[in-house]
Amino acid sequence: MAVPQDRFYAKTHEWVSLDNGIATVGITDFAQSQLSDLTFVELPEVGTHLAAGDEAVVVESVKAAVDVYAPVAGEVIEINSELEDAPETINTDAFGAGWLFKLKMVDEADVDQMLDADSYEELCPVS
Amino acid sequence: MNAWSVSFNKPISYSAGLEIQHRLLKARQENKIPDTVLILQHQPVVTLGNRGRSNFLLKTEAEYKAEGIDLFRAERGGDVTYHAPGQWVLYPILHLGGNDADSHGYLFNLEQIAIQTLADFGIKGFRKEGKSGAWTEAGKIAAIGFRLKKWVSFHGMSFNVSLDLSGFQTIVPCGLVGEPVASIQTILGKACPEMEAVRDSLLNHFEVICGRKLERFDAEGAMPAELVPLVSGS
Repeated sequence: MAVPQDRFYAKTHEWVSLDNGIATVGITDFAQSQLSDLTFVELPEVGTHLAAGDEAVVVESVKAAVDVYAPVAGEVIEINSELEDAPETINTDAFGAGWLFKLKMVDEADVDQMLDADSYEELCPVS
Repeated sequence: MNAWSVSFNKPISYSAGLEIQHRLLKARQENKIPDTVLILQHQPVVTLGNRGRSNFLLKTEAEYKAEGIDLFRAERGGDVTYHAPGQWVLYPILHLGGNDADSHGYLFNLEQIAIQTLADFGIKGFRKEGKSGAWTEAGKIAAIGFRLKKWVSFHGMSFNVSLDLSGFQTIVPCGLVGEPVASIQTILGKACPEMEAVRDSLLNHFEVICGRKLERFDAEGAMPAELVPLVSGS
């Protein structure tokens, strides 16, 4: 799957899309493909303050548990609670309906530390 | 850079294994060591995964204790399983994603290591649709449960060689009701290979399938200076 150009990427396979100081965070299609069918997502609570690099979410498949990190700092203002009943949405639409949470960013310049789509794609082995 | 493996000749407790893994995980995340595979045997222990269901434990904590079996809730994925001497446990501490071999998926690769190791001893192993691990006609022989932190793996796979399988009767392995558990010994009887031969086979297949050549060390022998405090804890 092509990596969308309209967002930023972390080496730990999270993506961030920016809208007016609000960062929407998810995991990439490469990341979900490594995890097979997801069965559980543990989301942060709204109101949680996260620093860049903090553990924010745990996603689990039948045999694997994977920690997802906040790529940028901010306060959690919304979580994708639909994932609690349908975690497999991350497998089918990692870059869209499978988003995890939204952060009110402390500093929008945080994304300057992240990768663009082309640099991120170079990191992933091609299957 | 080559990857490393550390092999333990004597069974160690689950908690000791966990501490070693946590130290290696941190060192690997900080790039202080290359990818490193632990291969060891545990003293008898029942472990539950993160979301492992305790109704698959068929005994009380006191009853496990009385039988000399420890009980742990581990932070890995997967359900309940049993470890004891006579079973190899493979804990690869790998930074995933940077190696072409990782594109098949780590779970697939672990299963493939088990299946090809079985083939070395003339046993046909296979996957089961919708279930993880490696199976034989006689039952399930390898169980998998792992976790990734910053895309470094820990926990991993257990592979039954010659352990006393009665410990599995105290649990519903992996939450799969009515699924038999087997070992190489169940199938080959007296022709069961030595533990060391199976260990070498597991590591050989790891090298090819995970695309990482191993420099092999013994926990009781000489190791790179960086590894000594991580493995011994001192």
